[in-house]
Amino acid sequence: MHDICKEADAINEQLARYGVKFGIYKNGEFREQLFPFDAIPRVIGAEEFEYLEKGLKQRVTALNCFLQDIYTDKRIVKDGIIPPEFVYASSGYLPPCEGVRAPKGVASHISGIDLVQAKDGAWYILEDNLRVPSGASYPLIARGLCRRASPETFRERKIVDNRDYAQLLRRTMDHVNVGGDNVILTPGRYNAAFFEHSYLAELTDSVLVTGSDLFVENDFLYYTDMGGQKCRVGAVYRRISDEYLDPMSFLPESVIGVPHIFDVYKKGNVAIINAPGNGVADDKGIYYFVPKMVKYYLGEECITHNAPTYLPYYPEDMKYVLDKFDEIVIKDVAEAGGYGVVFGNKLTKAQKADMLALIKAQPRRFIAQDVIDFIDIDIMENGERVPRKADLRAFVLTGEDVTVWKSGLTRFSRDPDSFIVNSSQGGGFKDTWVLSR
Amino acid sequence: MGAITVDKADHLYWLGRYSERVYTTLKLYCDGYDSMLDADEDFYKALCVMLDIPNIYASREDFLQRYGYDRQDCNSIISNLARAYDNAIVMRDEIGTETLGYIQMAVYSMDAAVASDAPVILLQKVVDHLLAFWGCVDDQIDGYCIRGIMKFGKRVERLDLYLRFHMDPHEVRRIYHRMVPRARESQLPVNRAAMEALEGYMSAPELDYDGALGALMGILHV
Repeated sequence: MHDICKEADAINEQLARYGVKFGIYKNGEFREQLFPFDAIPRVIGAEEFEYLEKGLKQRVTALNCFLQDIYTDKRIVKDGIIPPEFVYASSGYLPPCEGVRAPKGVASHISGIDLVQAKDGAWYILEDNLRVPSGASYPLIARGLCRRASPETFRERKIVDNRDYAQLLRRTMDHVNVGGDNVILTPGRYNAAFFEHSYLAELTDSVLVTGSDLFVENDFLYYTDMGGQKCRVGAVYRRISDEYLDPMSFLPESVIGVPHIFDVYKKGNVAIINAPGNGVADDKGIYYFVPKMVKYYLGEECITHNAPTYLPYYPEDMKYVLDKFDEIVIKDVAEAGGYGVVFGNKLTKAQKADMLALIKAQPRRFIAQDVIDFIDIDIMENGERVPRKADLRAFVLTGEDVTVWKSGLTRFSRDPDSFIVNSSQGGGFKDTWVLSR
Repeated sequence: MGAITVDKADHLYWLGRYSERVYTTLKLYCDGYDSMLDADEDFYKALCVMLDIPNIYASREDFLQRYGYDRQDCNSIISNLARAYDNAIVMRDEIGTETLGYIQMAVYSMDAAVASDAPVILLQKVVDHLLAFWGCVDDQIDGYCIRGIMKFGKRVERLDLYLRFHMDPHEVRRIYHRMVPRARESQLPVNRAAMEALEGYMSAPELDYDGALGALMGILHV
């Protein structure tokens, strides 16, 4: 069989040609960096994917139930399943969303669920990303190039074609569109994921807009075309954070949002994908409760496994954290992108003392997890196969039905001693093959 | 697909203008480079006048280096290519990844030229990518208006440069006649009085370059 790895340079050259980059700020300066692609794929067998698919659908369905509930009836709090402070102290909980029901009962239309596989083969969920998860575009564009570089590989193996992502996304947008154009709202070209915003706009035939292109008039959302005509917007796939979305409802200093867009949304005159307020469900503290959500809302046992997680908020978990500090990883619930992650055994004595004091002072701010010794995946480095840590971001799209994209973004660390795979921390990506049999 | 916003029309127009500016000035630069080797060392001074840019250059070598490759010099070719890229990168959804790729490759080729000991020979690749870019515009962009705006920008820029260079009047008029239909296709709000004035200059027996340039500058308030 033809070895696709031999074509890695050619594929990376094509990715560079198409501007497959991400933006990064270092020392106050914006730079665009290529996202290094490794041609050795992550391969997921049909049966294994079937299990993941079932679990992810269940998980996202429960999370959508939670989001509907938490801003309306709050049954899960009233019934004592989740302590109220974990909801209301979450930075992702948005009081303005109180009483708002997401159109068609879907708040998380595009969910990015991060998983790792342990050495015993078990998959663990690391985190749920329900706000603006990014990354689908990378394996999407890479697949087309891989197929060109090594057609034999795709002829001889039964690899599910993943190039339907744009259609799935378009269908998801159309499902909630209330009349008008689909737009993708980007903070602009200096955003880290701007390549993805513009690429998905191209593939879904959506209008790529910035906040200054949109305006609200008489409770509807519009943009103006070059002839001065108003064009109504029916669905906004926003790629900006909740707090910047609408300066009238959230952060008043936001200059990248759209004044009053949230009012239009509340009146049901535009769909916002993903819905504002989703941050409460992908909070690292709430993550602990997801298996309980599945049981509560769906009456089922949770299929997916959380990484063993401890909340210093609970005295018994605090004791565990203090006893096992050198064996666990501490995560600041307010941070993302690989930041705010501390491995106990990597700290000096003084740093450890400071961290413990911080955890005791602000127990709600942190979660602790056992370090999962997840499997290494080979990458090519200087012509040799070397093992590196890698995770998987699976994409779950919820529209008329819940669909797990038969692929995903596999990110790897290039540092042999690091578990952190984020692109912003220097990692690369791989294609994820799902086999059809 | 929805309509084109005002900002996007602006980016498309300037993408057309800057990519044409790079293309035409690169050819001029390469010709000037040859001329300055052994025929006319001070030719760059005349080039600055033709290009209507301040002569901030200390010598022939300084001009060849800075006008070609200095990112801090806002009139340099590399700066104009960066402006073309800035306008292209935000237009992926309209012009497509395939078309945008040629501007990206022109940037890479320019970077490779800058890093080379023999940059001028490598500039041909930049020219090649720009020509391929325009070929791709014709081949891949279905939107009549999108293509029209870009090509209108391209023709305006070439006419602007040719008027500044005092090119042969027949050549200038040929470019003008190629620009006129593009103005219509672009659907941009063209200043009719300026267009009529420009038409007057172009149909006069003697071409008044400065007058025509003034009219050209007024045809669009973008």
